[in-house]
Amino acid sequence: MADFRAPLRDMRFLLYDVFDFEAHFARLLDRERVTRDVLDPILDEAARFAEAELFPINRTGDEEGCHFESGVVTTPKGFKDAYRTYVANGWTGMTGDPAYGGQGLPHSLSLIVEEPMTTANMAWTMYPYLSHSAMNALERHGTPAQKQRFLTLLLSGACTGTMCLTEPQAGSDVGILRTKAVPNADGTYAITGTKIFISAGEHDFVDNILHLVLARVPNAPAGTRGISLFIVPKFIPRDDGSAGDRNGVQCTGIEEKMGIHANATCVLSFEGATGFLVGAENEGMRCMFTMMNAARLGAGMQGVGVSEAAYQASLAYARERLQMRAATGPQNPGGPADPIIVHPDVRRMLLTQKALNEGGRALAYYTGQQADLAEFGPLDQREHAESLLSFLTPIVKAFVTETGFESVNHAVQIFGGSGFIRETGIEQYVRDSRITMIYEGTTQIQALDLLGRKVMLTQGKALLSFVDELQRVAKQCTVPLPDVGAALDRIAGEWATLSLATGVRGASDLNELGAASVDYLMYSGYAALAYCWARMALVAARQLNKGERIGTDPYLTGKIATARFYMTRMLPRAEMHKRAIEAGAGVLMQIDAAAFDHN
Amino acid sequence: MPEYVAPTRDMEFVLFDLLDAESTWRRIPALSEVTRDLVAAVLEEGGKIASEKLAPLNQIGDRHGSTWSAEGVKTPPGFKEGFRALAEGGWLGVAGDPIYGGQGLPKMLTVALEEMFYGANTGLYLCGTLTVGAATCIANHGSEAQKALYLPRLYSGEWAGAMALTEAHAGTDLGIMRSRAEPVPDGSYRITGTKIFITYGDHDLTSNSIHLVLAKLPDAPDGTRGISLFIVPKFLVDPNGSLGARNTFSSGSIEHKMGVKGSPTCVMNYDRAVGYLIGEPNQGLAAMFTMMNYERLSVGIQGLGTGDIAYQAAKSYASERLQGRSPTGAQKQDAPADPILVHPDVRRMLLTARAYNEGGRAFAALVGRELDLAKYSPDATERARAERLVGLLTPIAKAHLTDRGFEACVSAQQVFGGHGYIAEWGVEQFVRDARIAQIYEGTNGVQALDLLGRKVLRDGGATANEFIASMRADVNLVAAEFRDALEVAIERLSDVTKRLLARAARDPALAGAASVDYLDLFALTTYAWLWARMASVAPPDAFGAAKRHTAKFFFARLLPRSLALTQAIDSDSDAIMGMPAASF
Repeated sequence: MADFRAPLRDMRFLLYDVFDFEAHFARLLDRERVTRDVLDPILDEAARFAEAELFPINRTGDEEGCHFESGVVTTPKGFKDAYRTYVANGWTGMTGDPAYGGQGLPHSLSLIVEEPMTTANMAWTMYPYLSHSAMNALERHGTPAQKQRFLTLLLSGACTGTMCLTEPQAGSDVGILRTKAVPNADGTYAITGTKIFISAGEHDFVDNILHLVLARVPNAPAGTRGISLFIVPKFIPRDDGSAGDRNGVQCTGIEEKMGIHANATCVLSFEGATGFLVGAENEGMRCMFTMMNAARLGAGMQGVGVSEAAYQASLAYARERLQMRAATGPQNPGGPADPIIVHPDVRRMLLTQKALNEGGRALAYYTGQQADLAEFGPLDQREHAESLLSFLTPIVKAFVTETGFESVNHAVQIFGGSGFIRETGIEQYVRDSRITMIYEGTTQIQALDLLGRKVMLTQGKALLSFVDELQRVAKQCTVPLPDVGAALDRIAGEWATLSLATGVRGASDLNELGAASVDYLMYSGYAALAYCWARMALVAARQLNKGERIGTDPYLTGKIATARFYMTRMLPRAEMHKRAIEAGAGVLMQIDAAAFDHN
Repeated sequence: MPEYVAPTRDMEFVLFDLLDAESTWRRIPALSEVTRDLVAAVLEEGGKIASEKLAPLNQIGDRHGSTWSAEGVKTPPGFKEGFRALAEGGWLGVAGDPIYGGQGLPKMLTVALEEMFYGANTGLYLCGTLTVGAATCIANHGSEAQKALYLPRLYSGEWAGAMALTEAHAGTDLGIMRSRAEPVPDGSYRITGTKIFITYGDHDLTSNSIHLVLAKLPDAPDGTRGISLFIVPKFLVDPNGSLGARNTFSSGSIEHKMGVKGSPTCVMNYDRAVGYLIGEPNQGLAAMFTMMNYERLSVGIQGLGTGDIAYQAAKSYASERLQGRSPTGAQKQDAPADPILVHPDVRRMLLTARAYNEGGRAFAALVGRELDLAKYSPDATERARAERLVGLLTPIAKAHLTDRGFEACVSAQQVFGGHGYIAEWGVEQFVRDARIAQIYEGTNGVQALDLLGRKVLRDGGATANEFIASMRADVNLVAAEFRDALEVAIERLSDVTKRLLARAARDPALAGAASVDYLDLFALTTYAWLWARMASVAPPDAFGAAKRHTAKFFFARLLPRSLALTQAIDSDSDAIMGMPAASF
């Protein structure tokens, strides 16, 4: 099985050299100031934990899976212990409010340290990651009393959290959910209904679980405007935080899935379970959205992570596996054949993975900065950051998971027949990563959100300001990297024009919006990654031009070569999405539903 | 559990309306008795076997998997009966040599049958395809005695076939294999070595298993020129076919895989196993290659079959699942939501799968026709031309049909949303099963190099241009609405090919750097030609309307990919080769 090393060099390059997180953190209000001497040990410990504690139980977790028996879920060997270490090392409360036991570090940090963990073990990392989403919702929408009672338990790691949205008949269409919440005399609610696909809905890490549940109060308006959010603890916590009475929520089964076998995907049955309203009645969707936005960035980071794992394995294999000779003559004359990394098409696949991983990581970091600024930035910057964050979030979620899946499939291809065999661990990445394009809102839902809500509804406000930013960076490229700058400048201008034209068509016919949406999202992703690659290449070029290691650091020269590969071989994909968008909705909608029947 | 319905209507359309198979069959003596009625009846019957006997075992096969023990490999429950249905119906001998009990029907027809069997149950049908493959190899290269002994029993499915090429260190690079073959005085050989990834290397479906094994004779030349091919039966047989002693080879273990779990993937240990040379010494790879065209096309069809059952499942789900309202207002007022087929992007995914599946079906039949012409045409010039086209089109069929088949499965899974990820719904199995087809029988990267390096550059583009010219000749015959776009697409392919020929001479890495994108471009252009022609000959009914519509969709939304591919192909190989090795 392949080895895994957290990409610390690349993480530090982005943190300190490309996005200057030290200066960024210094600008935030009400957050602990994080300097390099604080950050470096955090990164090192995240890497150590991921490499030493999580990676070794990734494959075994997949093989063993979760077990369900009479309402009890047992996680694979080692999973519970890893959680104990995670809690002991203080990871659960890292970005939480210090008033409730958190350490008050900026939110972007949790996204950053989550990456090596999800890379090492996606199924495991989903458990604390769902707690994190629940923390976000409570921190923003809970009353001080609720925070004292529930948030403290999440921050200390004594409880984990879940998000209970989906029902059998209500997936993407949350508005038609049926779970009921009937007010009790004491101000609590009695929750009754069935939720499905609840990740980490039941497990053996800790005794208590706090479910965040969407339900309808009596006489609630139809659709998403009639949904409320409730905390439903598995055990009602006593005043000292210890688990009290068992609540009326049961896990009635877990799903057999394609991947993430070690994460329990539960059916939860609520029968008059006691629930505590979060926020106001019928305001549940709004509350849920704040936690969903962070969760969506997290899902995007899973796309980066699984792709990084697949790339590291691919690269190691491509350097070891001897098969055929190089087109230009033997490179390894002493061996029976050359390592397959000499073959152009193997390199093409590796470079594609590298361009997608490192580009996706940069995009996630940049978006994470906007998340910090939107909440804790200087007051006059918050609105702009919020609008940029809303605009970039669906791109990070959908584009980075779609391209992550592409990347893991390249890994299978590089491994050839061995890639299909479970023992090598490569096919697991394909099975695990496939869910990232579905949950937390499918690619399709993200695409409608991007084009409909984030571009059209705002008349392209965030998009146009981001396009300005692309053009600014394109100008900076003029001297050291004119080809990179020209490619970025071209895509920036085209993105603005295309968005305008698509928006105009979408406003007059809503089918046009849906017909263009996924291609528009993918187009936007390629444009946004061009920006990230230009920024990375610029810094690399500057560093290569000064200092004593002029032109020799392979990490830096690799950054520039990969940026050029991206602009020449990958960015042209934007053109096909553009053409598909321009083709319009007619070819999709003018066909009779019956004509889809199979012949 | 997803059901399977064979697309017989579309198969007949491709054979008779698009490719006018009848006129081809009439003028070829070996096929002159094949009629439309006969073929329609065979397709219908094949569809029944697929739906009723094979498809119901597909999910069981995945759940249960094949299991290994020292006594031998056991296939999943029901597989024996399923294989017997294939065998007893004569489905493994459809294209076999009539002298030895085959039915001598055209490849164009078996291409359609294979699609059905793979679509219904890839894990099970792999045993069928290996049996047909072994028979094809023996029919082409075996001695009269070998043919008489093995062919009737393979065609009837009494015995099964297997192929043993790969070794742990020798996958794509067969030249470095180590298995040895020692001659013994009775004229047979003793085969020793370990082979891996041997599909149906051991199983309980038939009374005997005929392995075709590649190995090296003593003092054989290095590399691919020193490989010979041997028939190695699991049970030794006397000349009248009765079974004797167990041969000295067995399965050491089976692999745990991502998919096609019903089919055992075996490590095979040959320990001085008795083998019989087939063909000439050191000509084993050449013998394998003649059947490789059939095998590669077959694997392409595997991708198509799985892509099609995935489409069928997604289409049904999209018509039933109620979620969200149509962007233009509720379509199903009395229900809580509309069927998701109202959503433009669900339609985009379904149409993408459909356009690639139906285009792939036409493409596979086209290659089938050329295989028939290469084998049966009385005219030597026509045979030679067909042979060239088979060489050109086979790597495309293998790689493109499997790539697009996988894509169709992933799209179908996306239509299912969360349910697509759950085993019980059966769709995620299609994704896992389809993935292997992009790898085995030569990875799709190897296919792309074969196309660009061997088939296009080596003859200075002559065969490619011959094929391009034949597409060009049709431009004025297709419906007016596609004419310009088709012409642009064909000329783009023609120009890209010219530029590659000019550049390749001074850039040895170019073929490898451009190959995968070039194969895709070639395929997309060929599909555009097929779609324009299909739209032009489609009947004036609902079936024809769907065809014309899907053609429009293909031109509007899928063909533009050729622009991205062209830019990538035209870029310098330095974008790939310039990266310092240490910088990865």
